[in-house]
Amino acid sequence: MTTGFPAARRCPGMRDLSPADMARFHRIAEAFRGVVGAWGYGEVRTPTIEYLHLFTGAGTLSPQMLGRVYSFLDWDGWSGERVVLRPDATIPAARLYTERFAPGEDVRLSYVQNVFRFADGEDSREDWQCGVERLGAAAPQADLELILLGLAVLRALGLPVPTVRVSHTGVVRALMERAGLDAEEQLALYDRIREGDLEGLAVIEARLPDLPTPLRFLFQTDGDRAYVANVRAALADRVPEALAPLQELTTIAETLSALGEPYRVSMALARNFEYYTGLVFRFDVAETRVGGGGRYDRLLAQVSGHDVPASGFALEVDAIVPLLPVQAEDRGVDFVVRAATLDPALLARAHEVAAALRERGLVVALNGAPKQAAEVIVEGAEQLRLRQAGRESVFSSIEKLADVVIDVDGPDE
Amino acid sequence: MSTIKLALPAGDLRAESGRLLLGAGIDVSEYAEGSRLYHFRLEQPDVRVRVFREKDVPIQIALGNYALGICGGVWIAEAHARYPNDDVVPLRPFGFGVRRVYAAAHGDPAQALRFRPVRIVSEYPNLAERYALAMRFPDYRVMPVHGAAEAYPPEDAEIALLDAADEATVEALGLRPLQRVYEGGAWLVANRRALEGSDLSPLLRPLLAIAPPFRDEPGLSLPSRRNAGASVPRPDNRRDVVRLAVPDGHQQRHAHASLTSAGLTFDGYSDSTWVRRPTSAIDGLEVKVIRPQDMPQQVALGNYDLALTGRDWLADHLYAFPGSPVREAVDLGRSRYSLAAVVPDGLPADTIDGALALWGDREIRVASEYANTADHYARLRRIRRYRVIPINGASEGFVPEDADILIEGTETGTTLRANRLKAIDSFFLSTNCLIRSTRPVEGRRAALIEDIVSRLRAAAVTAPPFQANLQGRVADSGY
Repeated sequence: MTTGFPAARRCPGMRDLSPADMARFHRIAEAFRGVVGAWGYGEVRTPTIEYLHLFTGAGTLSPQMLGRVYSFLDWDGWSGERVVLRPDATIPAARLYTERFAPGEDVRLSYVQNVFRFADGEDSREDWQCGVERLGAAAPQADLELILLGLAVLRALGLPVPTVRVSHTGVVRALMERAGLDAEEQLALYDRIREGDLEGLAVIEARLPDLPTPLRFLFQTDGDRAYVANVRAALADRVPEALAPLQELTTIAETLSALGEPYRVSMALARNFEYYTGLVFRFDVAETRVGGGGRYDRLLAQVSGHDVPASGFALEVDAIVPLLPVQAEDRGVDFVVRAATLDPALLARAHEVAAALRERGLVVALNGAPKQAAEVIVEGAEQLRLRQAGRESVFSSIEKLADVVIDVDGPDE
Repeated sequence: MSTIKLALPAGDLRAESGRLLLGAGIDVSEYAEGSRLYHFRLEQPDVRVRVFREKDVPIQIALGNYALGICGGVWIAEAHARYPNDDVVPLRPFGFGVRRVYAAAHGDPAQALRFRPVRIVSEYPNLAERYALAMRFPDYRVMPVHGAAEAYPPEDAEIALLDAADEATVEALGLRPLQRVYEGGAWLVANRRALEGSDLSPLLRPLLAIAPPFRDEPGLSLPSRRNAGASVPRPDNRRDVVRLAVPDGHQQRHAHASLTSAGLTFDGYSDSTWVRRPTSAIDGLEVKVIRPQDMPQQVALGNYDLALTGRDWLADHLYAFPGSPVREAVDLGRSRYSLAAVVPDGLPADTIDGALALWGDREIRVASEYANTADHYARLRRIRRYRVIPINGASEGFVPEDADILIEGTETGTTLRANRLKAIDSFFLSTNCLIRSTRPVEGRRAALIEDIVSRLRAAAVTAPPFQANLQGRVADSGY
């Protein structure tokens, strides 16, 4: 939009949110808070700045993500210890858990927070997330709760037919461990598979020649609970380590089927294989990924030394905004009230009139150009001129004026 | 055809780069070994040449001040490690000036790497960060130093990332090589936008045709291992000794004079020669030679109890980290010079306000070896839009082409006048000083520290106080 002002520079990847943008943001945040609050999740807020070391250990942020964090030396960083602008909301929530709760305590936390990650050009570098963390609760009940909760939030927003895709990192991990791949090799191969490079599967197949079926079968297809049963039939004998994760997937799939929820199961879904340890899932709306999460049972041990089961998800506000149903976002100003002169008594009276109209549920601004339909001019203590839709009327009290404007433009509309 | 701006390295790469350019038919005889010229011009092709410290070349290329340059690949890697999207395009290696950077530890690396935090010291702080992240240390500290990284392990760091010809050289320094992190020589580099939109062919054609043709180098090599071992606290082996850091370089003779006046003499530390660990006849006093620029941080970290450095370096440290637990103990009064804002002597302004009025609302480039001081100066002088360009020496030629203001130390003004520069705002007096930690010390160590402080206080040279005209912290407290 051209404003006529000389352009002032804005940092690349950083955005302003207009009043209309903020109205949409609040719709999402409030719907999210309403639903997760009803499910027992208490909202937290963690600091924007955290120590870098919180995110550097194995099993926290991936090396790719670490290469995009905003890290710097704070004013008291003389020791060389770097801090970061929060690049992820889950790890700080896990840190908060270790400070505020007993190890293993079952806790439900939620947040509406921004995360900062460098991106090229004008791609967003500050993203808002609505997320929940279930800490201290074991799979699969906690994972099932999170999937259903995410779907409930998306429905509360009025989004068209949200669906969920589920997977389990334990299945692929069992295959790769049985094939004798070390941690580095597992990471590299998993990334290839997730990006659709199925040739990488030949590495596993070469080391497991007694597999009953080519692994492409597992990774080229997806399905529902029947698919899980078929995968189980294919791997049960040769990769028994995959049975436990497949059992968790079966439980989730059958429960979602019983509830009539739309879902699909696939074998390679998680974006951060190193971080997730169990069930992973992502939410889609109209073929757009709007969020996701999963189980990260090793993270708390990294942060605190205590093994605590944990899982969570985050919804991406920027992905959801374009999908929101159209709604009048901004009611605007109903009335402008101004004093006819700069007489202090009239100025004070104008404030009294505005306050009285606001008490009646109207949005009232003081002064300014009367772009809105109605304008109240305070001409005397007992003389209030109302200009509305090309007509003018004079009232002798706030009450008489209010009765008329409420009837015409009141908050019942 | 427009002028091509070429950045060439001073220092170790100078002679080979000169021979290479002459061999390619580019007449840079003014750049020959032994020359002190910082800039000159060629007619055919039309090239403006500027000589920088090698480390500054990729910065100047990234800023777009120069279209082409030659520098060690390690400095490109160091810049890319922090700014992977910078505008520096490596075009080809030349095969000379090969440098290897090793990560090295003292003693048993398996033990040292389990300490939390792992302390890494290096002239290449960005490569050190990359190394630490690749190692997945759950906690680490990178200590940037201006040289002598090998001096820090084992007392003051677990790992040093340092230049060495080979593993045997690392071992000769008393360290055990863990990994070669970088190997590569001199490279031709270009600014991305210049490459996209300017005709550089008069220089590119001969430089790319130099034999042998392009052959890639090992370059950056990061570890793939993960540090999964449990962390252990670092033992404190230094509780009974007082540690004193003394400087090498320009400050050495002044520090030696101050120490001698105080009756403190050390075997292996004269006014011109030194060994890394001079010995003291005073029981319980350990002495080490390190760069004066690095001393404030080392004292803040508790690695040293006392250090002889310059007030300029202490101030530069405190501008970045005002809460750092290091303070001046004694102004020793020697090595006296001013820090000043320096501009070309042809600029029709004699004050900083006058210069700012001339420049108007455009961005002001402030170059300095004292990057934190330059930043502090720009903020206190309310320069609205500015950019600090950190440099590593050879500063005289920076203004006016590559910077508007130079924050520079000046003693008599002779060097400035020789380079057609002038100081328009002297704002800080630097002398050599003794610095100490603000942390409490008890017992025998406290008594020895106080003894050294009082001896040096008695030996301090007194001089008229300097009236700092920079408002704020400098004028209030000396820093």
